[in-house]
Amino acid sequence: MTHSLHRRGTEESLEKDYVLLVTSAYGFNHEGSKEKMRKILDEVFEVEPCNIGSYDTGTIHSGVDIQEIRDALNDVPRVRCCFSTKEQMIKVLERIKELDLGLSVTVSGLTDEVLDIAENLELQPHSINLSLEVWGNIEELPSEEVLELVTMCGHGLISSGLVENCIEKIKKGRMTARQAAVKISHPCVCGIYNPDRAEKLLEKYVPRD
Amino acid sequence: MRIDQEKCTGCGICIPYCPAKAITIVEKKAKVDEEACFECGNCSRIRVVRCPSEAFYEQPGLYEGTRAVRKFFSDPMTTHTVTKIPGRGTEEVKTNDVTGRVHKGQIGIAVEVGRPCIGTDIKQVEKITTALGKLGIGFENMNPLTHLMDDRSKGTISPEYKGERMVSAIIEFCAPASELQSIMTVLKKVAGELDTVFSLDLIYRFDEDGVLPIIPKLDELGIRVRKNAKVNLGMGRPLETR
Repeated sequence: MTHSLHRRGTEESLEKDYVLLVTSAYGFNHEGSKEKMRKILDEVFEVEPCNIGSYDTGTIHSGVDIQEIRDALNDVPRVRCCFSTKEQMIKVLERIKELDLGLSVTVSGLTDEVLDIAENLELQPHSINLSLEVWGNIEELPSEEVLELVTMCGHGLISSGLVENCIEKIKKGRMTARQAAVKISHPCVCGIYNPDRAEKLLEKYVPRD
Repeated sequence: MRIDQEKCTGCGICIPYCPAKAITIVEKKAKVDEEACFECGNCSRIRVVRCPSEAFYEQPGLYEGTRAVRKFFSDPMTTHTVTKIPGRGTEEVKTNDVTGRVHKGQIGIAVEVGRPCIGTDIKQVEKITTALGKLGIGFENMNPLTHLMDDRSKGTISPEYKGERMVSAIIEFCAPASELQSIMTVLKKVAGELDTVFSLDLIYRFDEDGVLPIIPKLDELGIRVRKNAKVNLGMGRPLETR
């Protein structure tokens, strides 16, 4: 489970945010898939994702390099990363399609944009996971601005406290929006948090004192 | 998680990172409220908090008792012993083109309790599983939560786990699309009885012509579908076509 589908935000913000997940299916095609995943990882890295990481290592923004991510791929390997432009998303999918290694590929983003990409690449989407919002005691949730940042971690590891702490530091001039965006990224070990988008959100929401 | 009080300098850099708000400074040292702690592991990661004195450590026997479920349901760097999948659920739509977990004519539902931001305990989760159990739901076998149930037909969870807390727990199941309305009715009712929140997902197969007939049905029920989603592009092999 990597719930990249519950990212909150405006369409304008989300249209510059694509999560790419390449996954081997345990018990179906995971055996022997590690080398295939390494090939895909190499292609992905060449297209320069804004973030990439793994459950086992953490992300490039927390000091991991691509070789460490390659070496750490386990027996049920997966690639998790994020892109900030549609053009990059198309480019990386073209390369994965050309490799034709038979591993499952999902893209999270604005549904219309993702389906447009699929059509352009002559891919036939198989299934979709829809986000049907948040239910229950929603009065307890932090502000929508904070939610836009914390929901970029699919495992809920970015705390609202960390976002609020960074916002205070930006206000006081002790941190830039970029520095805050990167610091907030660290708990999201898979690497699906988008620091480019986070930087823009922080610039928009946090005026300096 | 625990903090070595000899090593801790009380600098407090760990405090904002904790999703459970479980770390406080007591007598100039950081302390973890173990009852509140989710065991997500954020604080102990050298590339996340970067505790200068490396004072965090896991309590002995963490993986042997009921507290292990906090770890499995909160820390994506652990892999559940049954599912072999890191994280707290199945691969849901991510490998559906190969596994065929959700067939044509079915809906795949995931109720992620505690997400975003609030967290949950098992008692909250059980309110939902028992409500769904009355519909005769077949809970997903490849989800670690299902393995905590003492009666899967009723959705009841073994009493020894009820005190445990976590970042989130995911209730997963597949059902015929014709049951959409009854499932949503149950979820709407139980949502009003919770102390926490849940994020709701629905997996559906595209028709051959790329249409999703489930969308107007959700609209009829007054359920908002967000404009962003996760799309399985059908590139896995062997392709599952059921």
